[in-house]
Amino acid sequence: MTQIRINDVAYGGVQYARISPDQCQKIHNASLEILARTGARLYDQEAIDLLKKAGASVSEGNRVRIPAGLVEKAFSTVPKRVTLYDQNGEAAMFLEEGRCYYGTGSDCLHIVDHRTGERRDPVLQDVVEGMRVCDALQNIDFVMSMFLPTDVHEMVSDRYQMEAMLHNTTKPIVYVTNEFSGCVDAVEMAEVVAGGAEELKLRPFAACYINVTTGLQHNEEALQKLLFLAEKGLPALYIPVSIAGISGPITPAGSVALVNAGVLVGLVLSQLKREGAPFITSAMSGGSLDMKTMVSPYSEPDQRGVPHALAHHYNLPMFGLGGCSDSKLVDQQAAAEAALTMMAETLGGANLIHDLGYLESGLCGSLAQLVTCNEIAGWIEYNLAPVDVTDEALALDLIDREGPDGQFLDSDHTMTNFRKRWYPEVFDRGNYDQWQAEGGLSLGERAAARVEKILAEHQPQPLPEDVAKKIKAIVERAEKSFK
Amino acid sequence: MSGELLNKITLSIVEGRPDEAVDLTRQALADGLEPLTIIDEGLTAGMNIVGDKFQTGEYYLPHLIIAASGMQQAMELLEPELKARQQAAESAGVVVIGSVAGDIHEIGKSLVGTMMSASGFQVYDLGVDVSTEAFVAKVKETGADILGLSALLTTTMTVQRQVVRELEEAGIRDQVKVMIGGAPISQEWAETIAADGYAEDAVGAVELAKQMVA
Repeated sequence: MTQIRINDVAYGGVQYARISPDQCQKIHNASLEILARTGARLYDQEAIDLLKKAGASVSEGNRVRIPAGLVEKAFSTVPKRVTLYDQNGEAAMFLEEGRCYYGTGSDCLHIVDHRTGERRDPVLQDVVEGMRVCDALQNIDFVMSMFLPTDVHEMVSDRYQMEAMLHNTTKPIVYVTNEFSGCVDAVEMAEVVAGGAEELKLRPFAACYINVTTGLQHNEEALQKLLFLAEKGLPALYIPVSIAGISGPITPAGSVALVNAGVLVGLVLSQLKREGAPFITSAMSGGSLDMKTMVSPYSEPDQRGVPHALAHHYNLPMFGLGGCSDSKLVDQQAAAEAALTMMAETLGGANLIHDLGYLESGLCGSLAQLVTCNEIAGWIEYNLAPVDVTDEALALDLIDREGPDGQFLDSDHTMTNFRKRWYPEVFDRGNYDQWQAEGGLSLGERAAARVEKILAEHQPQPLPEDVAKKIKAIVERAEKSFK
Repeated sequence: MSGELLNKITLSIVEGRPDEAVDLTRQALADGLEPLTIIDEGLTAGMNIVGDKFQTGEYYLPHLIIAASGMQQAMELLEPELKARQQAAESAGVVVIGSVAGDIHEIGKSLVGTMMSASGFQVYDLGVDVSTEAFVAKVKETGADILGLSALLTTTMTVQRQVVRELEEAGIRDQVKVMIGGAPISQEWAETIAADGYAEDAVGAVELAKQMVA
């Protein structure tokens, strides 16, 4: 579990802001103007009715213009922090100002197999192995499914993913489902593990990541999921994506203002449905289309930090995107982009930094790459740790005692403090001969070996038998309904 | 003189000034130039240069789109003139395109449509969330050479297979080439559902379409 704190003066944490508070307010005002003037299209009648009843204006059947007052009211009731628990009911992640946690992404359509280096279609066993590796890696704080399994019925792949996550790790889960019914089933499974609906609400260990078409187009399933979760009092991540230059302005400020307008639609709706419903905002950089390749890149630098500053401004928990790469394989570009995006997202203070281990702009995943990301997270944690400048740390007496010609290797001070430094697990620091003696392996090869070692040795805590049975029954029920 | 005007039209396309392309086309008609000459030696010549510049990495996507927009607007002016002369611009083929039922994602599909029509195809864009029946009906009505099916979601990509099956049921499967696209789509998926082809992006889609009608 990482212990990172950003912008925490009392703690001595690093201070970082990509844009100023005044700039944040300006973007916020722009989002309010978009909602009042342009409005958003909503494809769910209950959502439209809720907004209309609260004072929004509706035209063209589903185009909703939301006055600023409704947004301000929602800010007065939405919780400013969310605690996510592990599956044993222990508090695991405090999603609040300045706390950063790392996790995987979901639903990759391809996997680079760490055993062969081959890119292939993922199967359910890949999800299982991915979760077992996440369970073992100490800096992976929460999990998402990683892969979309192609060997199960496509309409219920989300149920199989949820089952695999529950079985193979106790860490908090961020789940994604195809349809609304998948979300309902995922919640039911989580309730079974927690021991009931009230227990899950009290100690939620799973949050739903809701995909919204664009900032101003809100699809039916997204709105249904949002309202269902608000009613249940369970945390929802409401994530509209407008690709900058395509479905939104190419400029970071305009793009963020547009996506944020969409987030605010979700915020208002969640609070209208149930005041105090836990809501997690998006710090996902919209991703501006690469105008040469027509790919929407995952590790671009331009927008990173802008939506984060806005979420700080709101004092709302936020969902960020890092540890990902646009490279096709586990190579130098993948390592560089993973490190840069993780550092930028952490400095930005994203509470849930997802997509560790992603390649190919979100289409492919790798367990070896995930191990590298775990290593990077450790590096970042130590780099951003507060610096101790007490007398004990300055060690003036020791310096004087040793004098100009002394050495510090055998001092108690060295003995008590040297272990506090960071030591890598897969980054290599040996000299050339040592490195060669250990096989002369590249980072990717060492990371793949680490994956194999974890899979051979690590046994996650199993689900109680009766719980596992009930979970299986939910998966089977869903499968039958689609046959 | 007319050569100079046609060069200017070409330049207005290449340098991305759609309004100027339209004005110059109007002027060329007033000067008595033949519509087909304006198309071949002015507009299409420009589009070919734009395509080359994109391929070599000098041009980016917005250059393509603005050039295509200039071409389309100028064509709107030229089409009535062609009709009056009982001529037709050489069509590369007829394309019906749309996002499948349940999918409201518009942009990728529209981009492909724009690029195709800039490349000389006659494009019928049916929009988003298009029912399977509507696709089949439009293919019948237009005698389309190519049907383009877009799906951005893993849940809607299966609808592409339904459309292919419906074409079979309607007995017109062998009259039309089906090409599919969208983020989760792959060549393998195209083979699985017995579509005729898949392209990764709009430029690839145009290339594929040209091969299909060749």
